[in-house]
Amino acid sequence: MRVNPNPMPDLLAALNQAKLESQQASIEIASGRSVNEPSDNPTAAALLVENNDQATFNSGYLQSLNSVQGQFSTADSTLSSVVTALQRAISLGVEGANGTLSDSDRGAVATELQGIQSQLVSLANTSYQGRYVFAGTTTNTPPFVVDNTVASGVRYAGNSGVNQVSIGSGYKLAVNLPGSQLFSAAGNDVFLAINTLIQALQTNTGIDTAVSGVGAASSYLSAQRVFYGNALNQSQSQTTYLNTAKLQISQQENTLGGADLAAAATNVSQAAIDTQATLAAISKLSQNNLFDYLK
Amino acid sequence: MSGLNGSLSIALSALSVSQQALATTSNNVANANTPGFSRQRPVLAAGDPVVVGSLTFGTGVVLQKIESLRDPILEIQLNQETQQQSKLDTSLGQLRQIQTQFGSASSGIGADISNFFNSLQQLAPDPSNLALRQSVLTAAGNLATDLNNTAHSLQTQRSNLDLNIVQSVGQVNTLTAQIASVDRQISSLENAHQDASSLVDTRTNLIRQLSGLVDVAVIPTDQGISLALSNGTTLVSGSQSFALSAQLGSDGVQHILAGGQDITGSLKGGSLAGLIQIRDQEIPGLASSLDQLAAGLANALNTANKTGFDLNGNAGGNLFAPPPVGGVGAAATLRVSITDPALIAASSDGTTGSNGNLAALSAVHDQAVANGQTPLDFYSNIVFQVGIATSNTSADVDSSNLILQQLQDQRGSLSGVSLDEEAANLIKYQTAYQAAARVVSTVNTLLDVAVNLGK
Repeated sequence: MRVNPNPMPDLLAALNQAKLESQQASIEIASGRSVNEPSDNPTAAALLVENNDQATFNSGYLQSLNSVQGQFSTADSTLSSVVTALQRAISLGVEGANGTLSDSDRGAVATELQGIQSQLVSLANTSYQGRYVFAGTTTNTPPFVVDNTVASGVRYAGNSGVNQVSIGSGYKLAVNLPGSQLFSAAGNDVFLAINTLIQALQTNTGIDTAVSGVGAASSYLSAQRVFYGNALNQSQSQTTYLNTAKLQISQQENTLGGADLAAAATNVSQAAIDTQATLAAISKLSQNNLFDYLK
Repeated sequence: MSGLNGSLSIALSALSVSQQALATTSNNVANANTPGFSRQRPVLAAGDPVVVGSLTFGTGVVLQKIESLRDPILEIQLNQETQQQSKLDTSLGQLRQIQTQFGSASSGIGADISNFFNSLQQLAPDPSNLALRQSVLTAAGNLATDLNNTAHSLQTQRSNLDLNIVQSVGQVNTLTAQIASVDRQISSLENAHQDASSLVDTRTNLIRQLSGLVDVAVIPTDQGISLALSNGTTLVSGSQSFALSAQLGSDGVQHILAGGQDITGSLKGGSLAGLIQIRDQEIPGLASSLDQLAAGLANALNTANKTGFDLNGNAGGNLFAPPPVGGVGAAATLRVSITDPALIAASSDGTTGSNGNLAALSAVHDQAVANGQTPLDFYSNIVFQVGIATSNTSADVDSSNLILQQLQDQRGSLSGVSLDEEAANLIKYQTAYQAAARVVSTVNTLLDVAVNLGK
């Protein structure tokens, strides 16, 4: 059979193929990715869109956690100071209940308690990054206002709103307790308890009852404070979880679209060998034909 | 016819035929690199014998014809595969251009959607923070801009395709006119019983070029050939060509007309069919998917924003300018309708610190907004469709290239000029010429003897 006397187009196609493979492998090595355009692996390209979403949200959750943790710590340490202040109020009350004290001594104790009362108002109006922590969702105005027309002497101007923040896929965390629930809950109103104690000391009647009232408010507040402790714990363990997930997501990304550098490097050198072999074939081919021997 | 004069005449025929055979060989060598050239070979035959009594004498050699070596069936296969290959190759080039819009998972529309919903999550811990609100608006703006740009790029590509189509129609017409003219020359040569093989090669080559553009079939007729598209449209009949025309249709794109009939949708092969397929199917399909996504997202987010209250305590309004009813053009025109970050309705009760409505806005991430799919699922499906179309076409191009290469090898093995072979022929005919010349000189000597016989 007669063979095609002009193998050049075939050889050029082979050269082109080798160049293409080398180029593909070089792109893979340079970008560190095997999926550089959707056609490289359509399924992986589609999954990488979802993977990027997971990665974006994962780092978003971590950022949110970072932000709410600051708020939790502020609230928790504020409540700790409140409890300390209440303990001080109780010891002052017990001191004032001592029958040996004169009216003026009790008056002095009552004055000190008034100081504690204003300290408590200021603690209850604690803000974090410009937002009042215990105001429910009316975070732009101080939630507790001194108002002598009410029995406790302090009026709650916030609301009972509770915000939730997503800290994981389908995992929402309540991030605040409204001040009404913490400081002015019916039966355990901190300000009312202190005010009652002040009045009891001033009138020297029912001091013991008033002191136990402050004690009850203090225990109540300590129990409520657990909310922030729990929230801190939850956010810390969620942070650990999200950091693990971050690793998994980036591993998944690598599995889907990462470059196989060893394979790509092999492809580059294979393509170089192919190219050289083809070039050698071309140079040999064009050298000889019968005309060369006709002298 | 026997005798010395007979021998002289035989030698002369050998001289003349050898010269013609040498001419054929040199023509082959000269055209060794001419595209579409089919090698030629002289067909020699012994001259009619002369019978004298009981003896039969030969009368030398005659050159019957110079034949071109080509296989019409192979040429047809080559045409068909060329049509297939150039359609696929054209589609692939366009698809590659399209898919650059959807290339990266960490940027582009998909990443914009993720970033937008993430910015809403970021706002949740501190809903009154204007910087965080601004980043929601920025993310929404990026999403809108990328959707706009992608839609515009697709539209630009479509307009360029339209230009390409008009140019291709012009090329088709030039080629069919050339083919008709060559065909006319071939007919007149053949009617005069002359050899038209080099013109046939030219015509074959022109038809191959035409096959790169349209799905043309060659039908041999009494008057040369006729060329028709697979939909029946005649392009060339005998020595006459029929031009196609391009005309702007009511749908805003160029339509191809043949004798007043719209044949745009019925072209099956050649680059023209590839251009039309991308222009009329791939790009409109993609554009409509993007519109669906843009309209679905904008409507769902507007609805969610209206259920809440902005930072001023007012009921929320539209986040995006409402997309056109029906969604056509939504991707190209999507824009954020508010510039004041305070107008994002994060609050569910009108208080500044509430983030209750952010949950409603964030929930759109997992809502079926387009074709029963979440925004991101819908988008990743677009990426998949673009990718699979490109990779399938790429595989088809590879296999079509292989087939074409094999067919060209086959054609080369029959019709290609081998310089070795031509060199051998050269020696052969040179020797034959030398031998015939020797005969002439011998006869001449003998005639000389005869002439001087009486001296």
